[in-house]
Amino acid sequence: MTRKVYWLAWGIVIVLLLSIPYLLPEIWIHLAVEALVFSLFAVSFNLLFGYSGLLPFGHGALFGIGAYVVALIFRNYPDASLLLTFLLAALGGVIAAAVIGVFSVRLKGAYFALITTAFQMFAFAVAEKWRGVTNGDDGVTFSRPDLHLGGLAILSMKSIHHVYYLTLVIVGISILACWLFLKTPLGNSAVAVREKDVRASFLGYNVFLTRYTLFVISGIFAGLAGGLFAFFEEFVAASCLNLDTSMSVVFMTVIGGPANFLGPVLGSVVYIIFQDWISSLTRHWWILMGCFFVIVVLYLQSGLISLIKPEKVRLWLDRRRG
Amino acid sequence: MSVILKTEDLFKDFSGLEIIRGITMEVYEGERHMIIGPNGAGKSTLFNLITGLYKPSKGRIHFLKRDITRLPLHKIARLGISRSFQIINVFPMMTVFENVRNAVVSKVHRRFNWVSILSKDREIERETRRVLDILSLQDVRDDLASELSYGRQRHLELALTVAQDPVLIMLDEPTAGLNSEESRSAVRLIRQVTEGKTLVMVEHDMDVVFGLADRITVLNDGTVLACGSPEEIRKNEEVRKAYLERRTGAAAGS
Repeated sequence: MTRKVYWLAWGIVIVLLLSIPYLLPEIWIHLAVEALVFSLFAVSFNLLFGYSGLLPFGHGALFGIGAYVVALIFRNYPDASLLLTFLLAALGGVIAAAVIGVFSVRLKGAYFALITTAFQMFAFAVAEKWRGVTNGDDGVTFSRPDLHLGGLAILSMKSIHHVYYLTLVIVGISILACWLFLKTPLGNSAVAVREKDVRASFLGYNVFLTRYTLFVISGIFAGLAGGLFAFFEEFVAASCLNLDTSMSVVFMTVIGGPANFLGPVLGSVVYIIFQDWISSLTRHWWILMGCFFVIVVLYLQSGLISLIKPEKVRLWLDRRRG
Repeated sequence: MSVILKTEDLFKDFSGLEIIRGITMEVYEGERHMIIGPNGAGKSTLFNLITGLYKPSKGRIHFLKRDITRLPLHKIARLGISRSFQIINVFPMMTVFENVRNAVVSKVHRRFNWVSILSKDREIERETRRVLDILSLQDVRDDLASELSYGRQRHLELALTVAQDPVLIMLDEPTAGLNSEESRSAVRLIRQVTEGKTLVMVEHDMDVVFGLADRITVLNDGTVLACGSPEEIRKNEEVRKAYLERRTGAAAGS
């Protein structure tokens, strides 16, 4: 019975996702694409925060590098293959994570957060100052090439509907991949190391290598999300690499609830809608967002998702409270 | 009998304070070796040196004819040394089953497997159930480790230690905090799970020590005061003076 309800619920969600372009006005489709992109970014962030117990304050660096990969490729090679370009964005995220990880994953807690921030600032400085390539604050503009489906059909990416569907498919597959990944022994190793790193070492787990691997895997999806974001915006500038990006993903994840796999997804959706709504009311929307964040942290540490699935919450965050 | 573990002139100081001052000891294959000594004698520190948590300031440690002095923790564990902790050290927010499974996954070397679903792995599941059976933890397998009674947590601690199928089992005060009934059953269990393996154990309870030991090493002030069979230790004058009598005296006084 519960199984049926479960599949039925998922069926409804998928139908709704597929019909969004027909149900909502165009301005909302833009928001939906953004929510999808940030869902993936937040899920990749939560592989570290929720499942590995690492809190990176500089995750935006991986996102931004993915964004630059896509923008620069399409800027310089307007006919580049779309899917290959997204793969390269993911690869960009992986390489950046592999480098940053070597230095940062050895550290824990605040030091880890700070050193990832430092790398983020470094990436930002490069993007801002290396004007020959990145065009600094003015950024890189390009137009979205069409998607060639193996000679069968050509989907024009001028249409926001098609952009939405492409994003939905890529994000959907990626989030599913993360979900499956967490069910593998390696996903379990990450949680074991998060729970008690010393105990895990005495059981034979290599704590550094486990965390490092998770960091790199998270880089795949952060880079991919960044690439999708640039693709959607047809633009990237140094501001994409600043701390706002890193902080918003922290906000999204915490608001949604890091203890549940889908918490970050919910958080991103709520964040994007909330941001759109209040920024139409006031220019100082960050203040309101901050208040919202504080309320969640103080009174709903398991995030908004716990209002829907309260039994699913088992996390190191909760242990601290108890 | 062959020597399985050997420490050579081990020293350890913490910012100048010497806790271990030249310990040389040997553990034979298949024996049950107890380490006793008054508080502050360096028992736990010695434990942490052998299992790699601390690195010695001087001296060497050999295990199975290999120098393990500078190896990282997880490498030492993979060579076949597994330990329990004096203060319960399990995965608190995981279920009992998941706790033991963590050890089993490591034993079968699937820690980095990312192409199979863990909950569908029959081999790991079977092995986990087997360990749960041995330690009679089946009835609480789906409870969170942090919600178990203290005695049950001790069993889980032991389960994690033996689930790796180690060569050498090191138990740090496995009966600490247990009442005499629980303590007796713990000893039975320890006897059962260490059958055919080598055991090194720190213990305060003299009944437990003399009940289990093939050999005993007595530490005092960071050095080995005596080492020998339970009979030899019982008769040793120095040990009586430094330790056994003081304990009985303290017990009588309180």
